[in-house]
Amino acid sequence: MSTPTNRLKLSEISVLLRGESQAIAEWSGCWNARRFALHIGVIILGAGLYGAAMGWWRAPQQGLYVAIKFPLIILLTTFGNALINGMLAPLLGLNIPFRQSFLVIVMSHAITAAILGAFSPLILFLIWNAPPMAAGAAGAPAYSLILLVQVAVIALAGITGNLRLLQLLTTIGGSPAVARRVMFAWLWGNLFLGSQLSWILRPFIGSPDLPVEFYRQNALHGNFYEAVFHAIQKFF
Amino acid sequence: MNENNPVPPLIPPADRTTPPFVPPSATPPLPGNRPLGEDPSDQVAIPHTFAAIEALLRHPRRLMFQLRQPGGGKLIAGMLFVALVCAAVYGVIVGTFSNGTQLWAAPVKIAAGLFISATICLPSLYIFTCLSGSQARLAEVCGLLAGLLMLMTILLVGFAPVAWIFSQSTSSIGWMGFLHLMFWFVATIFGVRFMKNGFAHTNAKSHAGLNVWIIIFLLVAVQMTTALRPILGKSDTFFPAEKQFFVGHWLESLKLPDGEIGARARN
Repeated sequence: MSTPTNRLKLSEISVLLRGESQAIAEWSGCWNARRFALHIGVIILGAGLYGAAMGWWRAPQQGLYVAIKFPLIILLTTFGNALINGMLAPLLGLNIPFRQSFLVIVMSHAITAAILGAFSPLILFLIWNAPPMAAGAAGAPAYSLILLVQVAVIALAGITGNLRLLQLLTTIGGSPAVARRVMFAWLWGNLFLGSQLSWILRPFIGSPDLPVEFYRQNALHGNFYEAVFHAIQKFF
Repeated sequence: MNENNPVPPLIPPADRTTPPFVPPSATPPLPGNRPLGEDPSDQVAIPHTFAAIEALLRHPRRLMFQLRQPGGGKLIAGMLFVALVCAAVYGVIVGTFSNGTQLWAAPVKIAAGLFISATICLPSLYIFTCLSGSQARLAEVCGLLAGLLMLMTILLVGFAPVAWIFSQSTSSIGWMGFLHLMFWFVATIFGVRFMKNGFAHTNAKSHAGLNVWIIIFLLVAVQMTTALRPILGKSDTFFPAEKQFFVGHWLESLKLPDGEIGARARN
């Protein structure tokens, strides 16, 4: 029994990545604890590996911290928005049960995390080739390059995950317009909360001028959007 | 391509052995095109309050139909009760920004403010619906207003975890006020949409009257937040000492320096 189950697990990840909407739609329609655990596992592992690679440049300890924080942000965002996302779906025309909307979002995050996990060796290689993070490195070309690559990889993973989500919602609901509405509503909510959680749990890449820590002492002072607002104010 | 094989929603897993891929219509019929009760699913009874929440989110036509049936008063009472509880729950989250007495004052003020706003606006709603040519009875109008309140407040409860995260990580009253107003506004949009869909079934000739009422309701509700202030920050008195319009109060709040805002919020 165990061998077929293991084979099924592996194939499920590839089905998710291929975006086989028909099969994934059927998975989302029924609760399967093992499958759910698998998807959560993919999020923890994939985002964790990527986080470790991201923080490693500052210090191995920072890598460990980010390996914990990165999946934590994804999971907290998923659970924090579960209620409102479950309500928005039927209100926007996609009449799916609360559990199904939750599972669908977990699956899309699992896709994103799997992509991130796959990129983690490449990020690690990039960091291995980069000069050590030294004081004043924040303005150096290497720092900018690593920052841009991180942004690009996370954007790629996020966009892919959301495109797969859109395909899945279209398959489930039958209407591309409704699927778009629901996906953008969910995306808005997830970005809104995810940005704030990332702000609270900073640093990720880290700074040579600041100590390695799980979260900054002023983590709960101000929020992400206030910081953006103050940054924009500096231009005027 | 996906239109060929969509999975119909709400089909039990057991029925999916041979999935009956009947594509739902890409553009659902406008509410009001089909009379209420024409679809057999509209006539399914709503036995308890949880079923009313479920119906409001997933099958609002069912709720609209049941509001017209004998015994609609009980349903309305249940909906108002849910709205009251949900408003209080969201109020507690609002109160966590300042803690202390605001933990009970904010839920009381939010729930009371919402219900007072609705009560103040109910007569004008009935008049406007009559002027629009609607055949809705007062009980039905009350039911749709109760639906608006219930949908608004359950959506606010949905937003509550996000609001709590932000309330723990900022000391700016201006920011938190904006956030709560934004959540309230989104919730109101969905609530108003439910109400409009409901009135589409009452033979109203125009939505103009209802649109005017919506503006009135929004203004009354935002003024209520000023009349019952402070809801976010702290104060020595339960009610404000001076009277103000909401625009003046908001502008005043935005002008407060960060330190003062923080002191007012956190002391």
